[in-house]
Amino acid sequence: MQYYDTGWFGVAFTMVIVVFVLLNIFRAGKNTNLFIRRIPGLTALDEAIGRATEMGKPVLMVPGIGDLNAISVQALNIFAYVTKTAARFANPIRLCCGNAAVYTVGQEIIRDVYQSEGLMDRYDQDSVQFLSDRQFAFAASVSGLILRERTAATFFLGEFFAESLIFAESANAIGAIQVAGSTQNTQTPFFIAACDYVLIADEFYAASAYLTRQPVLVGSLIGQDWSKIMVMLTVVLGVCTYSMERNQNLDFKKDKGVWISAPTHKKTDDETFINNLFNPDKPDPLLHKRPQRPPLPGEGGN
Amino acid sequence: MTFSFPNGSSGLYLALAATLIVGFLAMFAMMSMPARWRRPVVATCTFLAGAIYVAYYLWPKPQAFGPRDIPQNFSESVGSYLADSVNVAGTISTALTTFLLGLGIYSLVRIHGRKLLRMQKDWGFSLVLLISMVAIVIFGYWSYWQTKFGPDAVKLQLSSNWTWVNYTNDFLFDGLLQQMESAMFSIIAFYILSAAYRAFRIRSVEATILLASALIMMLSLMGAVEFIWNSHLPATGFAANFQITEIARWIRDTLQTPGIRALDFGIGLGALAMGLRLWLSLERGGVSA
Repeated sequence: MQYYDTGWFGVAFTMVIVVFVLLNIFRAGKNTNLFIRRIPGLTALDEAIGRATEMGKPVLMVPGIGDLNAISVQALNIFAYVTKTAARFANPIRLCCGNAAVYTVGQEIIRDVYQSEGLMDRYDQDSVQFLSDRQFAFAASVSGLILRERTAATFFLGEFFAESLIFAESANAIGAIQVAGSTQNTQTPFFIAACDYVLIADEFYAASAYLTRQPVLVGSLIGQDWSKIMVMLTVVLGVCTYSMERNQNLDFKKDKGVWISAPTHKKTDDETFINNLFNPDKPDPLLHKRPQRPPLPGEGGN
Repeated sequence: MTFSFPNGSSGLYLALAATLIVGFLAMFAMMSMPARWRRPVVATCTFLAGAIYVAYYLWPKPQAFGPRDIPQNFSESVGSYLADSVNVAGTISTALTTFLLGLGIYSLVRIHGRKLLRMQKDWGFSLVLLISMVAIVIFGYWSYWQTKFGPDAVKLQLSSNWTWVNYTNDFLFDGLLQQMESAMFSIIAFYILSAAYRAFRIRSVEATILLASALIMMLSLMGAVEFIWNSHLPATGFAANFQITEIARWIRDTLQTPGIRALDFGIGLGALAMGLRLWLSLERGGVSA
């Protein structure tokens, strides 16, 4: 065989998750009365905006310093909801971006929100700002903006790294109410230490379903929950199978992908079924080398 | 099949020019397109780009396929074609991001230029920002041209032969920007202290558990404490489990690692579901509006 064994189990597992998500999106389209548990960090969004309105101070939103990817897109989706609420109360907003692509998409979203609410007269073109794509230059800019404008509510949602604590502590210093959430597990403890409400791990992805109750999003969330149950069952099953197997005796071993006779021994980690399921054998070197085309000009040989 | 060109070849420059023209044409076409057509066009492009990655993930990958290898059958042809296509799809996304950087710079210049012209509060900072931006762009490109394409390009590889342009660029980047960024980074040390002080105040059961486990982790990393604590305990037997390094290891391996892995599972599933919704354009509102 001259192909990498990509691991059929991993592909099959992913396919099952995809089916779960799509199936539940389909289900949610028919039944809109599906339950989502309360997430404190998200119920705090309205409270934070309300406080900013009372104080007449801006709401600050930062979608992290990551590229335009699923994380920043999700952050912008949440910010669209925040902006919608803030726009109704005529509350100023600041969306600070550290990536030009996120800035462009963010600007479009914020304008669309004001337009769909029929409040274009309240839309400030400068409310969405590109500050810098250098990590600490961005940190300094956001920190300065927090201290100068004394934002009443701050939302740090997205991909954050070392700058997370600079933002959170600057906002804490001026007494702003803070809601934060990062998919970077290394930064979540900093947010927990410094912020009022934190969205932990997949709560961040559950946010738009919780806030908008769109059937597609709710269905997707339930599909994720089904997948989590499947993962948990796999973990329990794997632990039991692995523990049993490690106590079994074996009188043969695998050598270069072939089972051969060997002295009786307890099964090693490499010989367990569950290990082989998740760690496929590495392929042998190519049996027959492929013919090669001549090098292109400037390409060099090998 | 290859989509790449050797460095400095005419094919490469032709491809760059074509990218520029196609990029501007695509932007112009999208802007002048009626709003109701935009969504299907974006959905189709997203689906096609995503389909390449999905097919690449699912299709068997030819083993040890070199850049000049000739595929031996249909499966290998598709596998190598997909491997090349994935790079191209990634490059298109990079090219698009580069176009958008211009809009980011425009935003900066607009906001700070207006502040400067109207002499609004803190206009001095805006002036510094604009001067710094223009200076680092000019000296950055000037220095790059001199060291890469200029008449003394080879000589300038040695810093002892640098011109005042190279020194100025070095001063602006390494002497100022890097140092200021390091200063910002160092501030985190103080912020950690103030955040830790608030987090570790005993206000609830959770805060007490947090304080206790953090204290054990910190003490286990202090050589003197570790020596004194562990010297009172045997190296083997049941009591050895109470060595501070063992307690810290147990917290790390038995409590922290599984917790983080559980969070990672949740994040992974969330990202997969989100990616699926975006790829199939199932969402309404927000980014997909």
